[in-house]
Amino acid sequence: MTAVADSVRVPARQRGAAFWLHGFGSMLRWEMTRLRLLLPITALVQTFTGAGLVLGIGLFFEEMAPRIALYLASGAVVISLVTVGLVMGPQLVAQQRQEGSYDFIVSMPVPRSASLAAWLVLNSVVALPGIVGAVLVAIWRYDAAFHVSIVIVPATLLTLVAGVMMGHAYAHSVPEPLMVGLISQVLIFVIFGFSPISYPVENLPDWLGTLHRYLPFMHMGNVVRDGLTDGLVSDVGFSYGVLSAWTLAATLVAVVVAKRRG
Amino acid sequence: MDDWVFRVDELTKSYGDDAPLANDGITLQIRPGEVYGLLGPNGAGKSTLVKQVIGLLEPTKGSITIGPYDLVADPDHARQLCSYLPQAQMPIASFKVREAIEIAGSIRGGGGADVKRRTNELIEALDLGEWRDTLGAKLSGGVKRLVGFAMTSVWPGKLVILDEPTNDVDPLRRRMLWAEIRRLGEAGTAVLLVTHNVLEAEKSVDRLAIINEGRLIAEGTSSSLKATDSGSLRLQVMLAPGTETPALPEFVRFEGRVGHNLVSAITESDASAGIAWAQRLMAEGLAEEYALGATTLEDAYIRLTGHVSEEL
Repeated sequence: MTAVADSVRVPARQRGAAFWLHGFGSMLRWEMTRLRLLLPITALVQTFTGAGLVLGIGLFFEEMAPRIALYLASGAVVISLVTVGLVMGPQLVAQQRQEGSYDFIVSMPVPRSASLAAWLVLNSVVALPGIVGAVLVAIWRYDAAFHVSIVIVPATLLTLVAGVMMGHAYAHSVPEPLMVGLISQVLIFVIFGFSPISYPVENLPDWLGTLHRYLPFMHMGNVVRDGLTDGLVSDVGFSYGVLSAWTLAATLVAVVVAKRRG
Repeated sequence: MDDWVFRVDELTKSYGDDAPLANDGITLQIRPGEVYGLLGPNGAGKSTLVKQVIGLLEPTKGSITIGPYDLVADPDHARQLCSYLPQAQMPIASFKVREAIEIAGSIRGGGGADVKRRTNELIEALDLGEWRDTLGAKLSGGVKRLVGFAMTSVWPGKLVILDEPTNDVDPLRRRMLWAEIRRLGEAGTAVLLVTHNVLEAEKSVDRLAIINEGRLIAEGTSSSLKATDSGSLRLQVMLAPGTETPALPEFVRFEGRVGHNLVSAITESDASAGIAWAQRLMAEGLAEEYALGATTLEDAYIRLTGHVSEEL
């Protein structure tokens, strides 16, 4: 029997755990190959961004209080965690729409949850160097006293998942590539400049501080800081609540978009 | 034996009350082993039809099935049963040719060893060996197109949808591509070929449908569609640059003009009068050359759609 004859034998409707795992593995391979040129560079840039953010902002001060270094380092960790999922991923989706390959990607017979899971794994791998870079630089340069506790695991995971799900939600629900690009630019601007991730919320005007109580970014900072430090974060339960709500909402949007047909 | 006929029945797609129907009651069938051409000018509703098959669009009315399976009700299953080569190039800049085909086969559900065997078979059949380990970014458009075809047909399922598969492909490899499309058919897959290249479709498909403004306006074999034109000849005149379309004698039926190319039809009995007319145009400096030949599917296409295909 030739290979082509084998290839057209279609078994019954595929579903279940084995099918999901096969799809997950194949998509992981697809994504890693697709981004093989981009990922190492991204990881490197993330490391420099993480370390650079801590070092660079430190240059503004003659003497940096260890407390500020802790803020900066944990902020850099958050930025490492969400950059790919919230900004780069959507830009890649917009690019696929523009070049016309989007339809091919979504016509592949892989459960959406399996390809999302593959994307999530990839995100965590790329985020790792940035996290390590930021923390190491803060310790080396400013004697930052980290108190790493086990809650850093759920904190980083939740932050990562929140970023990936929110990015996925807007990337796939906004059909216009230019609009997706614009949203990602605005997000960079808001996250880097106007979110109390790398500094305390008290530094912002009251109204903006109040707004951030309901946005996810400050809470990403809070949960990560809670896992890395001692005594800087209060009411972390509220932060977990808000962040979980955003993640859930984004997941619902992702599910609706995946099921939606024009 | 399973019934794997692909059936589209009364398929209707509306994008809104004010817009004209993108698909209007389209009914067609493709049997396993059949290569079926879907022809039509841009905006005729070809892509809308395809996107409903693979579950990217939801039909307003009508059904799409493969054998006993309802593709509209279960778009996930539709994607398992159908593979799709879009008109755009595949996103394989950072894939080696072999990897792109193998990973696509794995994603489409094939097992490791089977997919490897099939990948090698395709690389050989399409003469892609010298690029086996070349990155997609370094491939020419035509070779990339062939790799896209291989990614679609490595583990094809029961229906392969090919949207302009021969774009950019050189004539020699075009023949290999058509041979491979034939082999898919022989192995039992139905092939839906979307194109506006009428002449190529005429040579390569078993049956075809012409759609225009959302409606299927003709269906059959290429000879049955040309039957109305039997007894006719095609008279093509290459006008001199800058020449207006000249007045046509009564026995010459105007079909269309693409650039300097004037296409018309005459009955066989008027052949010598047609030649005399064309030679007169050349003598007057209005035309540079002419050709008289048998009618092709193109003539039926022009008659039915009012459009001239771009590859004339």
